[in-house]
Amino acid sequence: MQTEPHRLNRWSWLFIGAGSVRALILPAVGAVLASGGVLLARLDLLSLLFLVPAFVYAFVKQRVYNYRFTDSELVVRDGLLTRNVRHIPYDRIHNVALVRNPIHRLLGVTSARIETAAGGKPEALLRVLSMEAAEELRRYTLGEVKKSADSDSPTTAPPDTPLLQVPDAELVRLGLISNRGFIVIAAVLGAFSQFQWWDEDWIQDQDWLAFYEGARAKAPAWVGWLTESGTLAFGVLLSVVLILVFLVLLRLFSIAWYVVRYHGFTLRRKGEDLRAEYGLLTHVSSLIPIHRVQLVTVSATFLHRCFGRASIDLETAGTSEAGSDLSGQLAASGVATTRQWLTPIIEAGRVGELLREVLPDIDLAAVEWKPIEARAVKRIVTRVAIVVTPITIGLTLLLTFAPIPVSGWHGLWLPPVALTATWLIARAWVRRAGYALTDRAIFFRSGWLGRQISAVRFVNMQTVSMRQSPFDRRRNMASVAVDTAGAGKIGHRIQIPFLDVDIAESILLRLYDETCSTEFCW
Amino acid sequence: MDEPEPVSNPDPDPLPAPPSIVDGEEHAVDPRSVKVARIIGIPTILLIAMLPLVSITIGWALGGIPNIVYLPLLGGLLSILGFSLWFTVMWTGAHHRHLRYRVDESGLRIRRGVFWRKVILIPTSRVQHTDVSQGPVQRSFELATLTVHTAGTEGASISLAGLEHATATRLCDHLQPDRDIDAD
Repeated sequence: MQTEPHRLNRWSWLFIGAGSVRALILPAVGAVLASGGVLLARLDLLSLLFLVPAFVYAFVKQRVYNYRFTDSELVVRDGLLTRNVRHIPYDRIHNVALVRNPIHRLLGVTSARIETAAGGKPEALLRVLSMEAAEELRRYTLGEVKKSADSDSPTTAPPDTPLLQVPDAELVRLGLISNRGFIVIAAVLGAFSQFQWWDEDWIQDQDWLAFYEGARAKAPAWVGWLTESGTLAFGVLLSVVLILVFLVLLRLFSIAWYVVRYHGFTLRRKGEDLRAEYGLLTHVSSLIPIHRVQLVTVSATFLHRCFGRASIDLETAGTSEAGSDLSGQLAASGVATTRQWLTPIIEAGRVGELLREVLPDIDLAAVEWKPIEARAVKRIVTRVAIVVTPITIGLTLLLTFAPIPVSGWHGLWLPPVALTATWLIARAWVRRAGYALTDRAIFFRSGWLGRQISAVRFVNMQTVSMRQSPFDRRRNMASVAVDTAGAGKIGHRIQIPFLDVDIAESILLRLYDETCSTEFCW
Repeated sequence: MDEPEPVSNPDPDPLPAPPSIVDGEEHAVDPRSVKVARIIGIPTILLIAMLPLVSITIGWALGGIPNIVYLPLLGGLLSILGFSLWFTVMWTGAHHRHLRYRVDESGLRIRRGVFWRKVILIPTSRVQHTDVSQGPVQRSFELATLTVHTAGTEGASISLAGLEHATATRLCDHLQPDRDIDAD
């Protein structure tokens, strides 16, 4: 089977052109600067230099770009002078993300990113398709044509019943929980500082003292009292108010960010996989490849727990295109990872239910947690004591000899306080930490204020290892770790510390047996 | 876990095919691998030590550094060098003593580490492919390094250095999955 080559949508030039213009902004700014600002006055020249080429390129690209479907791959043809034909096998396609901003929606089109697991950048970017074409693309590439013929995987829910919907109220809560506001504020400040507003004439020329006097004259009497009665009270009050305003703004930004980005977050079953749809302005519809999930983490920060909520994220991995390396080496080079949210927020009580629905092998209800060694508390306290001792000595000496009116003996407060706190926290941490083995998966949980549970299915385990530091050996302990494909640098994973060495060995053997008796597939 | 010295076969010539390597027993790698490690390690250390030694000696010879500074400095550097050499010799031996591998039907197990010990289990079902490589020094001793690649991250490639070349090749074949992974 081979379809006719499909062209892009007739509006494509607009989006391709806009993309190129965006890429040309920096060179354009460079050109303006190089010309000493003369170019800024000659907008006609500027557009001739940058806009026209961008849109000529866009028109040409729209003419030459096409794609077609064969039985097993998507063939994308591109390029006018150097023809470039790219074959993307369907089973390598991780995701077809449809991204629509308000302009896309106005014109009834969408851009489609074909994502394979190869590296960060998309394998192909189809800019732009009509909605029907995008649907067709998804049908072919995500194997739904084939799969409906087999239909061996019984779908428990009819395809249009959402598995999960996150209402706006939840997103508001999420905004309160998270610190996303910092990022927004940092971005705003960053953008703001780029403009070098403090160098502007109208700011430099302003008589700020007169401005202040004027504001005070107009202000009601009680403000006058504050400013008259000494600068300290005023300063303190002002900073308190400013901090409060900052905090409130932070949360508001955070809430706004989440509501705009994740508005209408819906999870739907799509064959074996899930599809997440969300977004207020830019509508995103992305596929969550459940069969490529390597690791699941349920995490709840302290604030999450205050609200009785948690979040679930998934680490997925796949191989890159086979052609990308010569010897068919799949390891290391060709594996890419993504950690993505299954849901940014969910009621803590529904975590188990959703996970069971999505990944039946990971059944939190069937889990019987086993503790790690309670002896670990002593080891953690000892570790901290080793660090605290030199600090205490240093502090005491510093306080004794520094010209400040504090007795050196105050340095000795540190060890009891630090060690008691460590002991309490370590005890809570050790009590909470634990592992569990079910028939299909291994679980590890840890955390004190913020808590995390990670799970890996036996099918997804690669190598298993046991480590012993010299201190472990002294105490007859060991730790067990499970390696998975495409494990990211950050994030919670299965690394169980402070196990009795015999228990560690039995876990190791059990995991090894389970790995041997299962077959890993991408 | 301080087992006594080599459990295995420091068989000088690999011609009479030794019994199956898949025996579920722990083996040490070839003891000549210690020699290989030393042959590589000692010149490396000497080379690194050359630079400061030569530069201070030049400084001293040209009169830039007085005797009273040069001699203790030289002594210090030489003793650091001596210690490093001693350490290399000791460490390569200790590393070898603590390195064990075991092969059975279902996979490979490697136990290594002098102070920080690690046991790593690699099931055949997770092996993506295997390599046997030989450095120039290894080649003169007919030794080789076996590298096992998995789809994992931390354990994406696990090497076992100092195997006899023939053993490494057979292990490579044994661990090589028969399933057709690059069917496309």
